[in-house]
Amino acid sequence: MKLRNKIAGMAVLACSASLLSAPAFSQETIKLGLSIPLSGSGANWGIGSQWLCDEAAREVNASGGVKVGGKVYNFECVAYDNKYNAAEGTKVAQTLLRKDGAKFIAGSLGTAPARAMQSLTERAGVLMFTTAWGPSIKGPNYPLTFTQMNTPLELVEPLIRYIKKTHPDIKTVALLNPNDASGQDVEVIARRVWEDVGVKVIASDWYERGTTEFQPIAAKIAQLRPDVVDLGGAPPPDAGRVFKELKAAGWKGIQVVEAGTGADGLMSTGGDAAEGTYLGAAVNFDDPSATDLQRRLNEGVKKATGESVNAIQIGFYDAVKALKAAMEKAQSIEPKAVAEALPQVTFEGAYGTSAFGGKDTYGIPQQILVPVIVTQVQGKTLRQVDRLDSQELKERLQKASQ
Amino acid sequence: MQTLTQLILTGLQIGALYVIFSLGLTLIFGVMKIVNFAHGQFFTLTALLIAVLYPFFAGQGYSHVMAFSLVIAIGILASLVLGYLLYQFGFRFFQRDLAGSFILSVGFVLLIEGLLLHYFGGAVRAVPHFVEGSITVLNVNVTYQRLVLIFVSLVFTALLYWVLGHTRTGKAMRAVSIDHEAAMIQGIPYKKIALTGFLIATFLGALAGAVMAPLAMVSPTVGADYLVKGFIAVILGGLGSVPGAIVGSLFIGFIESFGGFYFDPSFANIAIFVLVMIALLVRPNGLMGNG
Amino acid sequence: MDKKTISGSFVALAVAMAVALFLKDGYSANLMAWMAIAALIASGLRFVTLIGELNFAAAAFVGLGAYAAGYSLTILEWPFLVSLLFAGLFSALIGVGFGYVTLKTKGPYFLLIGFAFTEVIRLIYTRINVLGGNSGMIGIFPPDFLMDHFTVFTVGLTGLLIIIMYAIEKSYLGKCFIGIRDNDQVVLSVGINVHMTKVLCLSIGAFVSGIAGGLTAYVNNVISPADFSFLLSTFALAYLKVGGEDHPLGPIAGAILLVFLGSIALRFGGGDHIFYGIAIILTLLVMPKGIFGLWESFKSSRKHVDVVQQSAKGGQA
Repeated sequence: MKLRNKIAGMAVLACSASLLSAPAFSQETIKLGLSIPLSGSGANWGIGSQWLCDEAAREVNASGGVKVGGKVYNFECVAYDNKYNAAEGTKVAQTLLRKDGAKFIAGSLGTAPARAMQSLTERAGVLMFTTAWGPSIKGPNYPLTFTQMNTPLELVEPLIRYIKKTHPDIKTVALLNPNDASGQDVEVIARRVWEDVGVKVIASDWYERGTTEFQPIAAKIAQLRPDVVDLGGAPPPDAGRVFKELKAAGWKGIQVVEAGTGADGLMSTGGDAAEGTYLGAAVNFDDPSATDLQRRLNEGVKKATGESVNAIQIGFYDAVKALKAAMEKAQSIEPKAVAEALPQVTFEGAYGTSAFGGKDTYGIPQQILVPVIVTQVQGKTLRQVDRLDSQELKERLQKASQ
Repeated sequence: MQTLTQLILTGLQIGALYVIFSLGLTLIFGVMKIVNFAHGQFFTLTALLIAVLYPFFAGQGYSHVMAFSLVIAIGILASLVLGYLLYQFGFRFFQRDLAGSFILSVGFVLLIEGLLLHYFGGAVRAVPHFVEGSITVLNVNVTYQRLVLIFVSLVFTALLYWVLGHTRTGKAMRAVSIDHEAAMIQGIPYKKIALTGFLIATFLGALAGAVMAPLAMVSPTVGADYLVKGFIAVILGGLGSVPGAIVGSLFIGFIESFGGFYFDPSFANIAIFVLVMIALLVRPNGLMGNG
Repeated sequence: MDKKTISGSFVALAVAMAVALFLKDGYSANLMAWMAIAALIASGLRFVTLIGELNFAAAAFVGLGAYAAGYSLTILEWPFLVSLLFAGLFSALIGVGFGYVTLKTKGPYFLLIGFAFTEVIRLIYTRINVLGGNSGMIGIFPPDFLMDHFTVFTVGLTGLLIIIMYAIEKSYLGKCFIGIRDNDQVVLSVGINVHMTKVLCLSIGAFVSGIAGGLTAYVNNVISPADFSFLLSTFALAYLKVGGEDHPLGPIAGAILLVFLGSIALRFGGGDHIFYGIAIILTLLVMPKGIFGLWESFKSSRKHVDVVQQSAKGGQA
């Protein structure tokens, strides 16, 4: 047979073979962008968040992917370092949206870079999740932005009320916050709630992130002899140092870190002085009451960062699971359609069944409904002392089961 | 009265740490006329090694004192090696080039900090106190660790003074810092002196890291805050002046102590920067510098 | 300044703007805008080296310009061009004050005082609520007719300012500046007010930095205090050193190279610091005079070879 015919014959055979082996579904990937700090002091938060996104994506892909319109999609997390400032946040946003073509941002950590991201996502019709706290980050003007963790608006009130209930005699509180976005956001709300429950705010001070010398400010606070010292948005290692200095200065009282995300840093720098501290944004997935899923996630984050998982990072796992549920409900991978479906679905997040709501507070349902967990340092471990499930979620689940 | 004593003691202790740190900075400038932004990395490396190795040795059964002495020695040695490498492969070629050496040192900072973050992780570690407990001095509660810091600072400052004033190397370093060309004409081996000066400075930076480790929050980024304040102390006192570095450091220590108490730490920081700018207007070469 | 250089630079600028036009407003367009702004800041830094000083406060002036533009647009609701001009003028004004007070110091003192100034200003932004504090200021958008081609505008404006700075450098004023750098006593003896001339140089540098800041605000739409820390000055200095501080095109080359490397490094996650650090160290060790320094030495060695060949030929003939 002539060479030309041989080649033609082989080509025909090859084509038909490939047709026969074509899968019933074609596989495509949906990129989930992450704008997180991966260097500097926030690095551990970022690294843990990335691991949790990857883990959630793994689970989704392993259990058959996201089925929309007869196709199967896999998730892929793409993360870039936003260095906790707006300029880098803009670069990350541009890279994710314009270069990588991502249509979904599974998480943005850090208020300034989150705002930079939002500036682009709302205009480009991209759906964005954020851990940023300020109430101005969401609302009817930002229909594609969803908050993936409890913000001070959800956290602070249950925490402070619990403390006042448990220690009814407290009369005065001194606030100390880091001079950054979280500190500024928490302080405003904390001050209001303390006054509401009848505890007088006798001082509200600020320190620069990066300070390690807390002796002078601790001496100042100790002298005022407040019943409660509230460290608001201070990162746990800073808080531990402050409490240690307070103890050395002779102060004793109720210790609160509202935005306290984890006890490890607190206990390592605070030692004995950390005993009894109440934390508002920490979770203890080592606790006997933790589910298997929570334990597994905690182990994974511990291996990646050296610290236990915290409430900020969990939001990244939840967002991915929420996206799968919303995409399948909307039967679409267009951000606008998914955004409309998101408040209507429930999904299995790290805390169990969760959903999005909060219309009464924010004007549109963009707030994730997860429990507020109050923890306390007791004898070198973190114990859960109170759990407040979202009222709105409870009602919704009840209605669904009727 | 008790408050005043407390504040003075705190100011003294904060200042004592900056003294050790800034002596190194001013020494390098005096001898090599360069500004080394990477000086904070010696601090960080030593502190990190101590934080990581102490639990290891303590776990191996060494006594507290033995383990601590061992890890301090290892930490300081590691920094000396790093300092030697930075000098040989970098600063040696940029002496008296202010802009070049500064940028080079920034490059080193980015590299070293990145590597430290990669290998040690971002978590904050705690280091136990060298000496636990506290005593009451003049009605004020002071932890032993802080007293150790003041003591170490005094000892090594005195040592440095002695070296600069009474040893050949020390006198050679002073000669070089006054006029390095004249010094070379006199037959002073400039290259060796520069290296020696750099290593002494490295040692001081590492020492600062070692004494401060139990009192700070040790992580790969811990050196940065001290670096900035150290530079401020050095400009305030006058670049290249040892007494100047001491005066500048104590000044900053006191502002931090008093400012932090009467206002808050954030305000104290702003105050430090503003006061330095004012001081430089009155004395453009620092309080005790002569250019 | 000779006609060839002028026409050459305008042609180059036109080409750059055409490229920007072609890129529209995708990722590459943004990258080009950042490169242009970086080149402007580095060139401003180089301009101040004419009087022999390293203006480490450049980041402060960039930040002041950015916030001035942001504030005047979002709160005072001034039109775009006015707010951009205001950015430059506001920085220049602060520059006059800063320079008058600090230019009495020199060398490393001036460097470190600029450093301190940058940090103080940054801390002040974080305490002012109307500027957004630590959360930053948002909503800084260029007018609609420029939205899609903002890179063209950015490249054009930065190019124009760099050409103007070069023109000043070659003019009588520029020679005064260089004279001050080389020996200010001589300049003083000729009757020129050295101090005020230095202040003038610094305020021009501050004006340029302020415009760069305003452009940053408009390109990024969101600014935060952390964007304008001493690291910004450090990177500008790196662009200058890597590109070559002796040649006016040096800062541009350095900016383009390092911003480009930075965009690639983003992929390395937290490792981009290591990457950037190595890039700076290697460049400094291998090409201490920067890219253009290398080119100049290459050119002069060629000339040297030519001269040798000529004289050899001449000898033979």
